[in-house]
Amino acid sequence: MGILENKARARLFYKYLSQVYDQVNPFIWTDEMRDDALSLLEFDEKMTVLDVGCGTGFATEGLLEHVEEVHALDQSRHQLEQAYEKFGKHAPPVHFHRGDAERLPFATDTFDVVWSSGSIEYWPNPILALREFRRVLKPGGQVLVVGPNYPDSLLAGKLADSIMLFYDEYEADAMFKRAGFEDVKHAFMGPAYDPDVAITTIGRAPE
Amino acid sequence: MKESLLEILRCPLDKHELELEDAEYDGEEIVEGTLVCPECGERYPIEDGIPNLLPPDMREEAPA
Repeated sequence: MGILENKARARLFYKYLSQVYDQVNPFIWTDEMRDDALSLLEFDEKMTVLDVGCGTGFATEGLLEHVEEVHALDQSRHQLEQAYEKFGKHAPPVHFHRGDAERLPFATDTFDVVWSSGSIEYWPNPILALREFRRVLKPGGQVLVVGPNYPDSLLAGKLADSIMLFYDEYEADAMFKRAGFEDVKHAFMGPAYDPDVAITTIGRAPE
Repeated sequence: MKESLLEILRCPLDKHELELEDAEYDGEEIVEGTLVCPECGERYPIEDGIPNLLPPDMREEAPA
Protein backbone atom coordinates (compact mmCIF):
# COMPACT_ATOMS: atom_id res chain seq x y z
CA MET A 1 0.00 0.00 0.00
CA GLY A 2 1.20 3.50 -0.76
CA ILE A 3 2.56 6.08 1.61
CA LEU A 4 -0.53 8.23 1.06
CA GLU A 5 -2.31 6.21 3.69
CA ASN A 6 -0.30 8.22 6.17
CA LYS A 7 -2.22 11.48 6.27
CA ALA A 8 0.70 13.78 7.09
CA ARG A 9 2.65 12.31 4.20
CA ALA A 10 -0.39 12.73 1.99
CA ARG A 11 -0.47 16.42 2.78
CA LEU A 12 3.22 16.69 1.95
CA PHE A 13 2.48 14.98 -1.33
CA TYR A 14 -0.29 17.40 -2.20
CA LYS A 15 1.82 20.36 -1.21
CA TYR A 16 5.09 19.53 -2.94
CA LEU A 17 4.39 16.93 -5.60
CA SER A 18 1.07 18.00 -7.04
CA GLN A 19 2.84 20.40 -9.37
CA VAL A 20 4.62 17.56 -11.18
CA TYR A 21 1.60 15.26 -10.94
CA ASP A 22 0.86 15.44 -14.67
CA GLN A 23 4.32 14.07 -15.45
CA VAL A 24 4.18 11.16 -13.00
CA ASN A 25 0.52 10.22 -13.22
CA PRO A 26 0.21 7.00 -15.23
CA PHE A 27 -3.56 7.18 -15.14
CA ILE A 28 -5.25 7.89 -18.46
CA TRP A 29 -8.81 9.10 -18.59
CA THR A 30 -10.40 9.86 -21.97
CA ASP A 31 -13.77 11.14 -23.23
CA GLU A 32 -14.60 7.63 -24.37
CA MET A 33 -13.83 6.10 -20.97
CA ARG A 34 -15.90 8.81 -19.29
CA ASP A 35 -18.87 8.06 -21.55
CA ASP A 36 -18.48 4.30 -20.95
CA ALA A 37 -18.55 4.94 -17.22
CA LEU A 38 -21.60 7.24 -17.49
CA SER A 39 -23.46 4.51 -19.37
CA LEU A 40 -23.21 2.27 -16.29
CA LEU A 41 -25.53 4.56 -14.32
CA GLU A 42 -29.28 5.14 -14.51
CA PHE A 43 -30.08 8.86 -14.77
CA ASP A 44 -33.09 11.09 -14.58
CA GLU A 45 -32.44 14.77 -15.34
CA LYS A 46 -33.84 15.92 -11.96
CA MET A 47 -31.50 13.70 -9.95
CA THR A 48 -29.26 15.20 -7.26
CA VAL A 49 -25.69 14.31 -8.22
CA LEU A 50 -22.37 14.81 -6.43
CA ASP A 51 -18.99 14.78 -8.20
CA VAL A 52 -16.28 14.19 -5.56
CA GLY A 53 -12.81 15.37 -6.56
CA CYS A 54 -14.22 17.17 -9.59
CA GLY A 55 -10.85 18.80 -10.35
CA THR A 56 -11.05 20.82 -13.54
CA GLY A 57 -14.59 19.53 -14.22
CA PHE A 58 -13.97 16.88 -16.86
CA ALA A 59 -16.47 14.40 -15.42
CA THR A 60 -18.82 17.19 -14.31
CA GLU A 61 -19.19 18.09 -17.98
CA GLY A 62 -20.18 14.50 -18.81
CA LEU A 63 -22.63 14.32 -15.90
CA LEU A 64 -24.32 17.50 -17.15
CA GLU A 65 -25.27 15.66 -20.33
CA HIS A 66 -27.52 13.49 -18.14
CA VAL A 67 -28.71 15.78 -15.33
CA GLU A 68 -29.60 19.47 -15.05
CA GLU A 69 -27.38 20.36 -12.09
CA VAL A 70 -24.32 18.87 -10.41
CA HIS A 71 -22.83 19.42 -6.97
CA ALA A 72 -19.05 19.41 -7.40
CA LEU A 73 -16.50 19.18 -4.59
CA ASP A 74 -12.73 19.46 -4.61
CA GLN A 75 -10.07 20.37 -2.09
CA SER A 76 -7.89 22.30 -4.53
CA ARG A 77 -8.54 25.95 -5.22
CA HIS A 78 -6.35 25.83 -8.34
CA GLN A 79 -8.14 22.88 -9.92
CA LEU A 80 -11.52 24.45 -9.19
CA GLU A 81 -10.51 27.70 -10.85
CA GLN A 82 -10.19 25.82 -14.13
CA ALA A 83 -13.63 24.31 -13.59
CA TYR A 84 -15.14 27.78 -12.93
CA GLU A 85 -13.94 28.83 -16.37
CA LYS A 86 -15.95 26.01 -17.98
CA PHE A 87 -19.26 26.34 -16.13
CA GLY A 88 -19.18 29.74 -14.44
CA LYS A 89 -18.63 30.04 -10.73
CA HIS A 90 -22.24 30.04 -9.62
CA ALA A 91 -25.12 27.59 -10.10
CA PRO A 92 -26.81 26.66 -12.28
CA PRO A 93 -25.58 24.31 -13.59
CA VAL A 94 -22.83 23.55 -11.04
CA HIS A 95 -22.86 24.05 -7.27
CA PHE A 96 -19.18 24.18 -6.29
CA HIS A 97 -17.82 23.36 -2.84
CA ARG A 98 -14.38 23.02 -1.35
CA GLY A 99 -14.16 19.99 0.90
CA ASP A 100 -12.59 16.66 1.84
CA ALA A 101 -13.78 13.35 0.35
CA GLU A 102 -13.26 11.60 3.70
CA ARG A 103 -15.29 14.18 5.65
CA LEU A 104 -18.09 15.24 3.33
CA PRO A 105 -19.95 18.44 4.26
CA PHE A 106 -23.37 17.12 3.27
CA ALA A 107 -26.44 15.77 5.04
CA THR A 108 -27.18 12.05 5.22
CA ASP A 109 -29.50 10.71 2.44
CA THR A 110 -28.99 13.67 0.09
CA PHE A 111 -27.82 12.37 -3.31
CA ASP A 112 -29.19 10.01 -5.95
CA VAL A 113 -25.73 9.54 -7.48
CA VAL A 114 -22.22 10.00 -6.04
CA TRP A 115 -19.50 9.96 -8.71
CA SER A 116 -15.74 10.15 -8.30
CA SER A 117 -13.17 9.69 -11.05
CA GLY A 118 -9.41 9.99 -10.80
CA SER A 119 -9.54 10.89 -7.13
CA ILE A 120 -9.56 7.69 -5.04
CA GLU A 121 -5.82 7.17 -5.60
CA TYR A 122 -5.15 10.26 -3.45
CA TRP A 123 -7.39 9.42 -0.51
CA PRO A 124 -5.34 8.43 2.52
CA ASN A 125 -8.16 6.14 3.70
CA PRO A 126 -10.46 5.07 0.84
CA ILE A 127 -12.81 3.13 3.14
CA LEU A 128 -13.56 6.30 5.11
CA ALA A 129 -14.39 8.14 1.90
CA LEU A 130 -16.55 5.29 0.59
CA ARG A 131 -18.47 5.16 3.90
CA GLU A 132 -19.07 8.88 3.55
CA PHE A 133 -20.37 8.30 0.01
CA ARG A 134 -22.79 5.70 1.36
CA ARG A 135 -23.91 8.05 4.14
CA VAL A 136 -24.76 10.94 1.79
CA LEU A 137 -26.48 8.68 -0.77
CA LYS A 138 -30.21 8.19 -0.49
CA PRO A 139 -31.23 4.58 0.16
CA GLY A 140 -30.84 2.75 -3.16
CA GLY A 141 -28.65 5.57 -4.54
CA GLN A 142 -25.89 4.78 -7.00
CA VAL A 143 -22.14 5.14 -6.49
CA LEU A 144 -19.51 5.10 -9.24
CA VAL A 145 -15.77 5.35 -8.63
CA VAL A 146 -13.05 5.27 -11.29
CA GLY A 147 -9.48 4.66 -10.23
CA PRO A 148 -6.25 3.30 -11.65
CA ASN A 149 -6.15 -0.46 -12.03
CA TYR A 150 -3.14 -2.24 -10.61
CA PRO A 151 -0.44 -1.75 -13.25
CA ASP A 152 0.92 -4.88 -14.90
CA SER A 153 4.46 -3.63 -15.22
CA LEU A 154 6.40 -4.38 -12.06
CA LEU A 155 8.47 -1.21 -12.26
CA ALA A 156 5.48 1.02 -12.91
CA GLY A 157 3.66 -0.80 -10.12
CA LYS A 158 6.37 -0.12 -7.58
CA LEU A 159 6.70 3.49 -8.61
CA ALA A 160 2.97 4.01 -8.61
CA ASP A 161 2.36 2.25 -5.31
CA SER A 162 4.93 4.41 -3.56
CA ILE A 163 3.02 7.61 -4.33
CA MET A 164 -0.59 6.60 -4.92
CA LEU A 165 -3.12 3.95 -4.07
CA PHE A 166 -3.54 1.30 -6.75
CA TYR A 167 -5.88 -1.63 -6.42
CA ASP A 168 -7.29 -4.52 -8.36
CA GLU A 169 -10.79 -5.93 -8.75
CA TYR A 170 -10.47 -8.10 -5.65
CA GLU A 171 -9.39 -5.18 -3.47
CA ALA A 172 -12.04 -2.89 -4.95
CA ASP A 173 -14.70 -5.48 -4.18
CA ALA A 174 -13.53 -5.79 -0.58
CA MET A 175 -13.39 -2.01 -0.10
CA PHE A 176 -16.88 -1.32 -1.44
CA LYS A 177 -18.44 -4.15 0.53
CA ARG A 178 -16.70 -3.05 3.73
CA ALA A 179 -18.08 0.42 3.13
CA GLY A 180 -21.58 -1.10 3.06
CA PHE A 181 -22.44 -1.05 -0.64
CA GLU A 182 -24.59 -3.66 -2.38
CA ASP A 183 -24.73 -4.88 -6.01
CA VAL A 184 -21.01 -4.08 -6.35
CA LYS A 185 -19.72 -4.54 -9.91
CA HIS A 186 -16.50 -3.68 -11.71
CA ALA A 187 -15.57 -2.76 -15.26
CA PHE A 188 -12.17 -2.23 -16.80
CA MET A 189 -11.67 0.69 -19.14
CA GLY A 190 -8.93 2.27 -21.15
CA PRO A 191 -7.79 3.30 -24.60
CA ALA A 192 -7.19 0.57 -27.21
CA TYR A 193 -3.47 0.34 -26.45
CA ASP A 194 -4.07 -0.08 -22.71
CA PRO A 195 -7.64 -1.38 -22.32
CA ASP A 196 -7.64 -2.08 -18.58
CA VAL A 197 -5.72 0.89 -17.21
CA ALA A 198 -8.74 2.03 -15.19
CA ILE A 199 -11.11 0.16 -12.95
CA THR A 200 -14.65 1.47 -12.56
CA THR A 201 -16.73 0.24 -9.66
CA ILE A 202 -20.46 0.76 -9.27
CA GLY A 203 -22.71 -0.11 -6.37
CA ARG A 204 -25.85 0.89 -4.53
CA ALA A 205 -26.55 2.12 -1.01
CA PRO A 206 -28.80 -0.38 0.79
CA GLU A 207 -32.56 0.33 0.57
CA MET B 1 -23.87 29.73 -3.30
CA LYS B 2 -27.64 29.61 -3.16
CA GLU B 3 -29.31 29.94 0.23
CA SER B 4 -31.24 26.73 -0.47
CA LEU B 5 -27.94 24.83 -0.19
CA LEU B 6 -28.14 25.27 3.59
CA GLU B 7 -30.66 22.41 3.56
CA ILE B 8 -27.98 19.92 2.51
CA LEU B 9 -24.73 21.47 3.81
CA ARG B 10 -23.40 20.09 7.10
CA CYS B 11 -20.35 20.53 9.28
CA PRO B 12 -17.75 18.10 7.87
CA LEU B 13 -16.60 17.26 11.40
CA ASP B 14 -19.83 16.43 13.26
CA LYS B 15 -22.44 16.61 10.44
CA HIS B 16 -24.48 19.18 12.36
CA GLU B 17 -26.59 21.72 10.43
CA LEU B 18 -24.81 25.01 9.71
CA GLU B 19 -25.97 28.56 10.43
CA LEU B 20 -25.30 31.44 8.06
CA GLU B 21 -23.73 34.62 9.48
CA ASP B 22 -22.78 37.99 7.97
CA ALA B 23 -24.20 37.09 4.56
CA GLU B 24 -23.69 39.45 1.64
CA TYR B 25 -25.92 38.90 -1.35
CA ASP B 26 -25.66 39.58 -5.05
CA GLY B 27 -29.21 38.89 -6.19
CA GLU B 28 -30.02 35.32 -5.05
CA GLU B 29 -26.36 34.45 -4.69
CA ILE B 30 -24.64 34.52 -1.28
CA VAL B 31 -21.22 35.89 -2.24
CA GLU B 32 -19.62 36.33 1.19
CA GLY B 33 -20.42 35.13 4.67
CA THR B 34 -19.61 32.49 7.25
CA LEU B 35 -21.16 29.10 7.89
CA VAL B 36 -21.03 28.34 11.59
CA CYS B 37 -21.52 25.00 13.31
CA PRO B 38 -23.48 25.67 16.52
CA GLU B 39 -22.41 22.24 17.83
CA CYS B 40 -18.60 22.46 17.63
CA GLY B 41 -18.20 26.19 16.96
CA GLU B 42 -16.17 25.67 13.78
CA ARG B 43 -16.50 28.46 11.18
CA TYR B 44 -16.41 27.92 7.41
CA PRO B 45 -15.98 30.91 5.10
CA ILE B 46 -17.93 31.56 1.91
CA GLU B 47 -15.35 32.97 -0.49
CA ASP B 48 -16.66 34.72 -3.61
CA GLY B 49 -19.75 32.52 -3.48
CA ILE B 50 -17.92 29.21 -2.89
CA PRO B 51 -18.42 27.57 0.53
CA ASN B 52 -15.04 26.42 1.86
CA LEU B 53 -16.01 23.36 3.89
CA LEU B 54 -12.51 21.94 4.20
CA PRO B 55 -11.88 20.74 7.76
CA PRO B 56 -9.57 23.20 9.55
CA ASP B 57 -6.52 20.89 9.29
CA MET B 58 -6.77 20.98 5.48
CA ARG B 59 -7.04 24.74 5.00
CA GLU B 60 -3.96 26.41 3.60
CA GLU B 61 -4.56 29.56 5.64
CA ALA B 62 -3.42 29.65 9.25
CA PRO B 63 -6.33 30.29 11.64
CA ALA B 64 -6.92 34.00 12.18
